[in-house]
Amino acid sequence: MIEEPYRWVEAIANRREYIESQLAPGSPIAALGYRDGILFVTLGQMRQKIFEIYDRIAMGAIGHPGDIERLRMAAIELASTEGFTRSATDVSLRRLVHYSLSPVMKSAFEQIYGPPYLARMLFAEVGEKPEEDLFLRVEYDGEIASNGATYAQARQDFAALSGTQQSRELMETFLANQHAPDANLETAFNSALDAWSIGHMTLKNSDTKELPEHAAVRTHRQERLANAGIEAALLERDASRAIRYRLLPDNELRPLIRD
Amino acid sequence: MAFDQNFSGAADDFPALLRRKGLLASTGANLLPQVGTPQKTWQPTEATTILAFKFSGGVLVAGDRRATAGNTVVYDRADKVLEIDRHSIMAIAGVPATAWEMARVLEHSFQYFRRTQLQEMSVDGKVRALSKLLRDNFGFVMQGIGVVVPIFATYDFHPKPEARLYFYDAMGAQFEVTDYAATGSGSPAVRGILYYENNWGSKPLKELEEDEAVSIALRALDTAAESDTSTGGVDRSGKIYPLIKIVSREGITTLPEGKIAAVFKETVA
Repeated sequence: MIEEPYRWVEAIANRREYIESQLAPGSPIAALGYRDGILFVTLGQMRQKIFEIYDRIAMGAIGHPGDIERLRMAAIELASTEGFTRSATDVSLRRLVHYSLSPVMKSAFEQIYGPPYLARMLFAEVGEKPEEDLFLRVEYDGEIASNGATYAQARQDFAALSGTQQSRELMETFLANQHAPDANLETAFNSALDAWSIGHMTLKNSDTKELPEHAAVRTHRQERLANAGIEAALLERDASRAIRYRLLPDNELRPLIRD
Repeated sequence: MAFDQNFSGAADDFPALLRRKGLLASTGANLLPQVGTPQKTWQPTEATTILAFKFSGGVLVAGDRRATAGNTVVYDRADKVLEIDRHSIMAIAGVPATAWEMARVLEHSFQYFRRTQLQEMSVDGKVRALSKLLRDNFGFVMQGIGVVVPIFATYDFHPKPEARLYFYDAMGAQFEVTDYAATGSGSPAVRGILYYENNWGSKPLKELEEDEAVSIALRALDTAAESDTSTGGVDRSGKIYPLIKIVSREGITTLPEGKIAAVFKETVA
């Protein structure tokens, strides 16, 4: 039946709808480039959502744990073998995503008798300067969105990942107004918490087009922080060390919260 | 960068991944001399001197800088004391090509394990990983090409924080030592000195302050160089000093040449 082009398009549309509905409850992740590196933040998850990929590359993901795991392993394998055979500086996020991950995810998505990847990922690669930070969001169908670091367009030193497009766009609107790349860790962390709260609040009501009220964000944030752990990781800009990834434990972050 | 769609999970260690992708030579087991064929006598060539001992500030690892081919000196600034991760050092006597490759594999193995398994590899796991690389290499050793005899120094945080020191034989057997280890052609002399210092010196090795430890390391390497042509010791005219690194709780420190030169001038020269 799917030999007919129209059926194929319909099948793809159904598949897209199904995957979107599966990803919709996915809790947001905010990634912000700041003066000393890139900060990944999310809140209160049942399982780890932020991962180290290579010396300067980290990943945040929502979706099915099995699929996330397969993609994460593949990314680590690719980066590690490249880093081993050539050098760590030859491992590039742009190549990893554009030439390896995206094509495979696209064909898995379009081969409708096989399973697609139920995952949405956000990669970041820390640069020597904030202008060189690269953020890439990869969708289940292989679609890539960048922060503009590779093409001539207004670039942003942040990226967001969420269950719905609505929620993600509101996070991005907020960060575009709120976040400056020369912020320190404390400021960046608080912006990330606010962005997370906005993303989390707007997951359920899909018709919200406006940013929630400041007071409502604060209340939501306080409630969630009281009941959930903070998961956060850093890619440090400090070039004296090869491995830039560092987990930030909850107790190191709590004192930085500003209400 | 090709994407392996049949990826099967996390069971692979890093050397196995490299072999699967054809990026690492096979284990060399098939290169073992066949039964019935005339066997060459195996002549170990480990032309260098490496020493390591525990002192009050952690483990000190020192190596001379000379690289030789037969009785020719080919290089006088070789680094034989290699950092593997933030708390581990591998120091090598043997064939540099094999040793540096091993160090690279090892370095990536530890990172790969942490990234894929989401936990740090244990010290025992790291010690075994090196042992396995040595055993895989034994076919080449039997052919007389590629013998490596390393020392491994690291800092263990579990169960109690302490520095750990191991030496290996060419087949991959590992031995943990309490006080000191030495390897390479100049090691008999060094072992004698460290044994003497530890038992009858001004104080046992593990109570030495940093400057005292550096001084003993320099004296030992200079002594080894006195009779062993493959050991560079201290090149007084070229101002080339041994490479000295210290593993402690805080990580690895490479002693600056100026500091080594100062200790040398004061207590050795």
